[in-house]
Amino acid sequence: MTWDLLVVAVLAGAANWVFRALPILARTDRTVAGGWLERVLASTGPAAIATLFVASILPTLSPDVLRLLPAVTGTLAVLVAYLVRRSVVLAALCGAAVHGITVWLVA
Amino acid sequence: MPSTTSPFRDGLLASLPIVMGYLPISFSFGVAATRAGFGALDAFALSLIIYAGASQFLALALLASGAPVLVAAFTLIAMNLRHLLYGPALMRAAGSKAARRHAWAWAWGLTDEVFGQALGALARGQRFSEPYMFGLGLGAYAAWVSGTVAGAFAGGGELDAWPALGAGLGFMLPALFLALLLSILSRRQLPVIAVAGLATIAGTLAISATAGILLGMLAGALTGLLGR
Repeated sequence: MTWDLLVVAVLAGAANWVFRALPILARTDRTVAGGWLERVLASTGPAAIATLFVASILPTLSPDVLRLLPAVTGTLAVLVAYLVRRSVVLAALCGAAVHGITVWLVA
Repeated sequence: MPSTTSPFRDGLLASLPIVMGYLPISFSFGVAATRAGFGALDAFALSLIIYAGASQFLALALLASGAPVLVAAFTLIAMNLRHLLYGPALMRAAGSKAARRHAWAWAWGLTDEVFGQALGALARGQRFSEPYMFGLGLGAYAAWVSGTVAGAFAGGGELDAWPALGAGLGFMLPALFLALLLSILSRRQLPVIAVAGLATIAGTLAISATAGILLGMLAGALTGLLGR
């Protein structure tokens, strides 16, 4: 292992810990109660999840119908499974399974 | 957020989709690291110490191209600035009386996916619990590190023989995010979700995937500020 790699890893890792833990330990969510920052924080969760969904589904989209089909069936499976069972874990597993099966069927 | 007598076990169980989504990605990272000329120990150290997917792949490119150490480090740090908002957003949803004594430890595992899963559980009415956060975070972290090591030793190609399995595992994270989105969906948050999604597409197409993620989160959060 090189020193360069270790230094980069430690600096980036330390910053990650600061970003993830320090705002909780500093109770920033309490200090902003009632202010504009509280409204931003309340929207951060839904915005982050929507963003991450779009960012993760974009690479699977294709103008080729056969390549697009697994993403469509997988997405529909998540929707149906969630509406039926209201379970995030089950819906995610169903979506991945149906996506994989569709890839296998169209191959 | 416990539903049984063991919130830690509940957290581990809730990490299952994240585990199945992380394994192929971290495996790919291990493979990419060895193909870029790094050893298995280097790949293991990057996953153990940085624990942030996209920036680890970028770290490989920067280090392999001989970028200056500080430039590489600050580029990676800038990529993960979005995590600053996760803790406060989660604790706000958890309520003012939520315990945070051990946050210095479990918050290390607050990745995009763990944050989403924890927030979704709170939105579904579950009570916040630090053992649940430990279980959720530990499952994901263990999968990330062990997948990296497996990929670094295997050297790649293992999933090529099973394209359907690889594709299914690759779809795990989009499926998880969609399910989480459904679990927190409300009429009040629709504008936030729509703007975040559109800004992500625009940013990704116009600039890059990383810029799309930052723009999407920023635009969605600002929509929440302006919309009330």
